[in-house]
Amino acid sequence: MSIRIITRAIQRLSTVRTGTRTPTYFKLMTRAESTTVVPKQKFDSVTEQYLGFGNFVAECLPKYIQKIQISSKNELELLIAPEGVLPVFHFLKNQTNCQFANLSDLCAVDVPQRSNRFEIVYNLLSLRFNTRIRVKTYTDELTPIDSITSIYEAANWYEREIWDMFGVFFTNHPDLRRILTDYGFEGHPFRKDFPLSGYVEVRYDDEKKRVVVEPLEMSQEFRRFELSTPWEQFPNFRSASPTTEEVVSADKEKK
Amino acid sequence: MFRTTLQRTVPCIRLVVAPGQFRLNSNAPAPPSKLEVFIDDKKVLVDPGTTVLQAAALAGVEIPRFCYHERLAVAGNCRMCLVEVERSPKPVAACAMPVMNGWKIKTNSELTRKAREGVMEFLLMNHPLDCPICDQGGECDLQDQSMAFGSDRSRFVDIDYSGKRAVEDKDIGPLVKTIMTRCIHCTRCIRFASEVAGVDDLGTTGRGSDMQVGTYIEKMFLSELSGNVIDLCPVGALTSKPYSFSARPWETRKTDSVDVLDALGSNIVVSTRAGDVMRILPRLNEDINEEWLSDKSRFSYDGLKRQRLITPLVKDNKGNLVPVEWEDALVATSRALINANGNIVGVSGGLSDAESMIALKDLLNRLGSEQLYTEEPFPMTGSGTDFRSSYILNSSISGLEQADLVLLIGTNPRYEAPLLNTRIRKSYVHNDLEIALLGPKVDLSYDYEYLGESPAILKDLAEKRHAFYAKLSKAKRPVIILGAQQFEREDGAILLAQAQQLSQELNKNADKGWKILNVLQQVAGQVAALDLGYKPYNNLPAAKVLYLLGADNESLTKCKPAGTTVIYQGHHGDAGAAIADIVLPGAAYTEKQATYVNTEGRAQQTLMAVQPPGMARSDWKIIRAISEFVGVKLPYDTLNEVRDRLTDVCPSMTRYGDLEPANYLVQASDLAKDLSSQTVSTPLNVKQITLEDFYMTDSISRSSPTMAKCIQAVRKQKESKYYESRA
Amino acid sequence: MAAREASKCATKIVRPLLSSDKSEAKKRVLNLYKTYYRQIPLMLFDRHLPVSKEECQIKLKEEFLKNKHITDVRVIDMLVIKGQMLLQEIVTKWAQDCHIMTLFKDTVEPKPNDFLSKFVNNNDSQ
Repeated sequence: MSIRIITRAIQRLSTVRTGTRTPTYFKLMTRAESTTVVPKQKFDSVTEQYLGFGNFVAECLPKYIQKIQISSKNELELLIAPEGVLPVFHFLKNQTNCQFANLSDLCAVDVPQRSNRFEIVYNLLSLRFNTRIRVKTYTDELTPIDSITSIYEAANWYEREIWDMFGVFFTNHPDLRRILTDYGFEGHPFRKDFPLSGYVEVRYDDEKKRVVVEPLEMSQEFRRFELSTPWEQFPNFRSASPTTEEVVSADKEKK
Repeated sequence: MFRTTLQRTVPCIRLVVAPGQFRLNSNAPAPPSKLEVFIDDKKVLVDPGTTVLQAAALAGVEIPRFCYHERLAVAGNCRMCLVEVERSPKPVAACAMPVMNGWKIKTNSELTRKAREGVMEFLLMNHPLDCPICDQGGECDLQDQSMAFGSDRSRFVDIDYSGKRAVEDKDIGPLVKTIMTRCIHCTRCIRFASEVAGVDDLGTTGRGSDMQVGTYIEKMFLSELSGNVIDLCPVGALTSKPYSFSARPWETRKTDSVDVLDALGSNIVVSTRAGDVMRILPRLNEDINEEWLSDKSRFSYDGLKRQRLITPLVKDNKGNLVPVEWEDALVATSRALINANGNIVGVSGGLSDAESMIALKDLLNRLGSEQLYTEEPFPMTGSGTDFRSSYILNSSISGLEQADLVLLIGTNPRYEAPLLNTRIRKSYVHNDLEIALLGPKVDLSYDYEYLGESPAILKDLAEKRHAFYAKLSKAKRPVIILGAQQFEREDGAILLAQAQQLSQELNKNADKGWKILNVLQQVAGQVAALDLGYKPYNNLPAAKVLYLLGADNESLTKCKPAGTTVIYQGHHGDAGAAIADIVLPGAAYTEKQATYVNTEGRAQQTLMAVQPPGMARSDWKIIRAISEFVGVKLPYDTLNEVRDRLTDVCPSMTRYGDLEPANYLVQASDLAKDLSSQTVSTPLNVKQITLEDFYMTDSISRSSPTMAKCIQAVRKQKESKYYESRA
Repeated sequence: MAAREASKCATKIVRPLLSSDKSEAKKRVLNLYKTYYRQIPLMLFDRHLPVSKEECQIKLKEEFLKNKHITDVRVIDMLVIKGQMLLQEIVTKWAQDCHIMTLFKDTVEPKPNDFLSKFVNNNDSQ
């Protein structure tokens, strides 16, 4: 239902634009190199509507949107450049055809193998159109990301959480400080290189009459389990669907 | 024996072995050009005679199977490997069917999948659903393959009428537990027993749903390799009795290591959980143990938990050993060493690693003593231990497969080195290898020409007088294996010299570069010790301090020399610790990262699977700590520094996994020439003649309850009226 | 376009965290140090800590000198941010006495370093 409204809106938008003057987004398009525009592929109708909407956002913000993809659970994902955080969210919140006024979640994922190891994931909800969108961007340990607290108040504590758990710095955050860890805690526990057991242990010292922090000493062996599935021995006969639908980019197709 | 029956029943055995696995007979016809087959539309070129299954493996497609095993004859009775071949009316069994030119094989087509699902359904119909209480759970082929290829529904509704098949469990000894209801009749165990182990104990009775795998009559599966059927069994019908219900495969931590209970250095995986060794499994190494493991190496791990030395002990003034702290023990040791004034004798035992031996050597040398001995004897006359080729297995274990005649002198490889024996047997079965034995008559699991037990025969052979010499001299690749235990005899040197002379004679007619003379060592530490310059122990000089590095030898420990302080460093409270004044607790092979050199001269390392128990420490560290107390600090603090020192002394010792060949056989023989003319009369004898002698040979297996149960079971079996000795 | 790609690879332009160059970063570090230094007497006045002013000053210096090898401006900035965070916790008294005392690590026994004491004390072989 809601998707249909959006697509209709897009159609209306494009009919207006095909009128008198060259639309501005088209100019932007010619400049951008990394922008991906999804070509027509075989998808079901809901997915197609999602892609239509994704293409619309990509055409409007060609500089920042790097990729559009559909996850295995049929959700629309926008992959954006970190410089584009503010304009993209400003657009998504305030554009009449988007109106994603609710930031339902904001979190990070650590993939140490990548050069930009942190993936910042924003989940938005449009109450107006009853639809959701996921926006992902990336950064490393030292590159700051623009805080979106100026757009979404809700981002305040979420960004504090990411700062505390992953150590990603958000510029122009009004109150960026720890939120979950103890005062004086060192390290960022959600980083993959942070050991599950931590580095320190805490106990009450009767002599000192206070809680003391000491380096961790494990008296018992840490139990690890063999978690590889045994039936992986026949990988040829496995036909699981990939987690995200790779969408062939337009320029690649041209080549 | 088996050789003939195998050839009669399976005429294509030579065609179905994997390429490169066996040497083809020289009289085989010239191979025609390669065949072209298509596996799932992927083109592969294979040799003629390759089976569908092997061709698919070349294309990277693994076909599910239960009965097929690379190292066993093809049975083709589980039908799990059915695949569709284009323009063939029925699916074919991939394991037994040789490919034809141009075949298009579909390993994942509708027909193939349906065939697999059908086979799986029939197998599961007669298989109990007891995975939660089955020890194979988590590493079960049936479990895995039913997940991948089985149906997700059951059509089995017969439960109210005849019910599931149930089979009585068999008692086949203290090592292998049988739950025969779970058996899917793949016959891998039967084929292993008769082909590899050479014991026709297992077989099937009945047919249809009354078919049973068993021993025909109630008896023990009498083999030194019986544990391997546990690994071979694709379901939970044969499981390990000592390991039963103790751990699940996913909760154990696996450490690659090396076995030290015989001189072969079989590669093993030590499974541990929470600091306990749960079980030991073989690790694939084509050059040493293939994928087998002897029962002693596999099951004696419970000896690592008993009789252990866990704290330093020092004799008090009443003459009792009392537990002390490390500092006190080190002080007592260093006082004894300093007071000895250089009059120290060090003896290293059979389980000692190279790191501790080099540390002990450095320590004693610094204290002014050159008296370092190995527990095992070796003749010092002639070339002695100067040439490495005199004390290693020169033709290598896998090299035995190329031999065409093996002469065993004073050894019983079946129990001294079971996996060496399987190599000989493999060659005997597949390559028509001929074997002759000089020594006491034993059951080697294959036929051999018995030459007698008098050592004079060796002299006759060396001097070309014996009738068997004609056959020997014709051999292109003869091998002489001399048991190292013969060196314990007074006249061991003469035997070695005569064997050297014989091998030089045979060399004239043999292939160029082929090494004939081999010495089969008894213990894992001997080659490394001799490489490092330890002298073999023949006659021990009197000394003020006797430092035993894990040495428990009977002749050494039966009487304690008066006025000598005995320091024992080792992991088990065995004979050596009993006579000691100071006991220093060391680490066993699963508890340290250490270097061992096997009988063929291949350096390998064990890895630390668990922590040493109590206050026990890695052996080289103990010696390093003593050196600091004595005041001659050894220049290494870490394992890598010790290994640098090892590399300085013997560079091959840190090239792990590489075979370091030696070739001074001619020179060694020349130096021993004057000895070979002497005559020896006492008949040859070996220590391990029957299976019960096999189980307990060192301090670890001696303290293992499982090994004790094995000996009891063998003795009980001997009393059975069905028992027949085959020696 | 290819040239632009190449130059992108050769010189990585990074987004600054706080400071644009080294001198600015240095200024920030010194400022933070001074603020801490001035905070020490106030902190000791407010709390009952079993340490003297001098000990605190030595500790402060030690903590700063621990990172003196760092030259990357962004890493320095990140440390400054974390330092400010701790300072804020001290000033606002969010951090309790025990949190401050963890810096002194007065209950931690030093680990043995030489071979012999390691040998005698722990079982952690290899």
